[in-house]
Amino acid sequence: MEILRNMWRRKFRTFLTVMGISVGILAFTVMGSLALKLNKMIDGGKKYMTGQITISPKGSNFMTGSGGGTLPIDLLNKIKNIEGVSAVAPGVELALKDPDPDNPTGGTSFGPPPTIEGYDTEAGIVNRNWTTLEMKEGKMIDKNSKENDIAVGTTIALENKLKVGDQFEIRGKKFNVVGVLDKTMTGPDTYVFMPIESAQKLYVEANPFLKSLKEKSDQAATISDKEISALSPDAKTQIMQSKSFKIEDINTAASVGWKDGTDPEIIVQKLKDQFKNDVIVLSPKKMGEEIDKASAQMNAIIFGAAILALIVGLFSIVNTMIMSISERTKEIGIKKAIGASGSSIAREYTFEAGVISLLGGLVGMGLGVLIITIVNGRMASSGAEIFLLQANFLVGVVVFSFVIGIIAGILPALRASKLRVVEAIREL
Amino acid sequence: MRSEIVVSAKGITKSYKMSKNNSVHALRGVDIQVKKGDFSAIIGSSGCGKSTLMHILGLLDKPDSGELYIDGEDVSKIKDKNAYKMRAKKIGFIFQGFNLIPTLTAMENVVLAGKYGGLKLSERKKRAFKLMNMVGLADRLNHKPSELSGGQQQRVAIARALMNDPAIILADEPTGELDSKTSLEIIDMLKELNNKGKTFLIVTHNMEVANACKKIIRLKDGKNES
Repeated sequence: MEILRNMWRRKFRTFLTVMGISVGILAFTVMGSLALKLNKMIDGGKKYMTGQITISPKGSNFMTGSGGGTLPIDLLNKIKNIEGVSAVAPGVELALKDPDPDNPTGGTSFGPPPTIEGYDTEAGIVNRNWTTLEMKEGKMIDKNSKENDIAVGTTIALENKLKVGDQFEIRGKKFNVVGVLDKTMTGPDTYVFMPIESAQKLYVEANPFLKSLKEKSDQAATISDKEISALSPDAKTQIMQSKSFKIEDINTAASVGWKDGTDPEIIVQKLKDQFKNDVIVLSPKKMGEEIDKASAQMNAIIFGAAILALIVGLFSIVNTMIMSISERTKEIGIKKAIGASGSSIAREYTFEAGVISLLGGLVGMGLGVLIITIVNGRMASSGAEIFLLQANFLVGVVVFSFVIGIIAGILPALRASKLRVVEAIREL
Repeated sequence: MRSEIVVSAKGITKSYKMSKNNSVHALRGVDIQVKKGDFSAIIGSSGCGKSTLMHILGLLDKPDSGELYIDGEDVSKIKDKNAYKMRAKKIGFIFQGFNLIPTLTAMENVVLAGKYGGLKLSERKKRAFKLMNMVGLADRLNHKPSELSGGQQQRVAIARALMNDPAIILADEPTGELDSKTSLEIIDMLKELNNKGKTFLIVTHNMEVANACKKIIRLKDGKNES
């Protein structure tokens, strides 16, 4: 109670000090919640990437998905025969829609863009860390799904107001929504899952070169063997090449699983040795390390900025306490004269600093939560909240503010404890 | 067990260095003995060393030389970090300017002394209430010092000084900021407490106050006046 009364004695000064800390804590709360969200997304990505060996066509850029070719099914069958490989699941990935020609970058977005994920329902999910995806309603695509069945991520469902039973037009074709995924806070929220055959068709349609190859293949299929044999050698070669186009070869990436007891890095090395001219191999271990490094750098930047703001607040507490002790030298003298020890004086002032900081922490945290709630509320309609509020983090922030105050108060409190009684009393 | 001689000081000296070649010799070998139940006054002209002596006897300052015993314990060379224990339990203070903590109520000021004296909270409150009653301020428990008159504040200070049942109560000009009527009331209260067995050593320049005491110790130029 005495502490609160002492704070009330200098209301304006106390207010300014509390505000100093609250700004720092506000920054810490907001930046911390942003980091939590990003870490959750990254954790999801890391969980995925470390649960499988990912292969993509030589020449492709894994991060942008640009360049490169496709992975033929024969190649994937060879990979399946490598000792230790449990399964190979081909996949097709392409943007849900082509960008607006007037806005080719598509503006800014948080997280993966809306993406079509075609996967082989026969092979299933080979990822060790992600064996199932929780469904909010309906069911995931499986081997019994029809060609036009899709399961959508929560962000896709919110943005397009989709539920099970609805139809959704994708690249000019109508699809049936059979499932809506639960929120994952990472990639799948913006994915549309469909059988690989459907995705392969969309991929070919979207790619003029592949589309022309398919058209030629379709035309070549109408020519009989007898007619082909009557053609010139060059024409025959062209027809045979056209006929060799297979839509099942249109795979933009593949997941490679490993058997229990097998070291995935050995399989990675085998893939690199045997197929170095055909594929890029992403090792789960290496991916995990790279993601951890990037995550650490991101967290350092985010929290570093917030801690700088807190340091400013900390100095304001030190200043306030030094001024307060200077004004209360007489009181300190009285207390020591009637039997207070130096350590009890130090404890009193340290605790007072902690209480001031705690007050600032509560205000800052409260304001931070308010801002986050407003911003997330605005983004909720698209499921793209950019902050993650966690109760234990918020409690931690408040406790941290108290600790910061204690640390700030130590030096002034030690000065107070060392005041010589007779000198303090001379101020009486 | 309480010693018969509550304060024994022999050959106490104290100097203050004002500059490199200039020192002020505040005390030049003072001897004082206070027995249990004494009601003594230290008088002397301004600058004779009264307050310096009071600070040393109260362990608020250290002598340069000499022997000092408080309630039978040698405190001549006591360290600052241990002096507070003696101050809390053996010595009560009454100051000229009352020196109550302004943010605490009258009751809380008295209870605070009990906290430093190591009393349990329930005991502190019980004792503080009894003392406030004794000094006639049972109806002013929750008043802040700014809401009390000078005389009332000094009575709270007296209650505070008595909280830990000290061996001796040191009063430095206890009536210095009071009018004559209130001064008499305070001295009467101290005399009454002395009659109940409390030991007082009062520093004063007021002869009326000194004459109310049973024994007078005179100081002149930092020494006992013979």
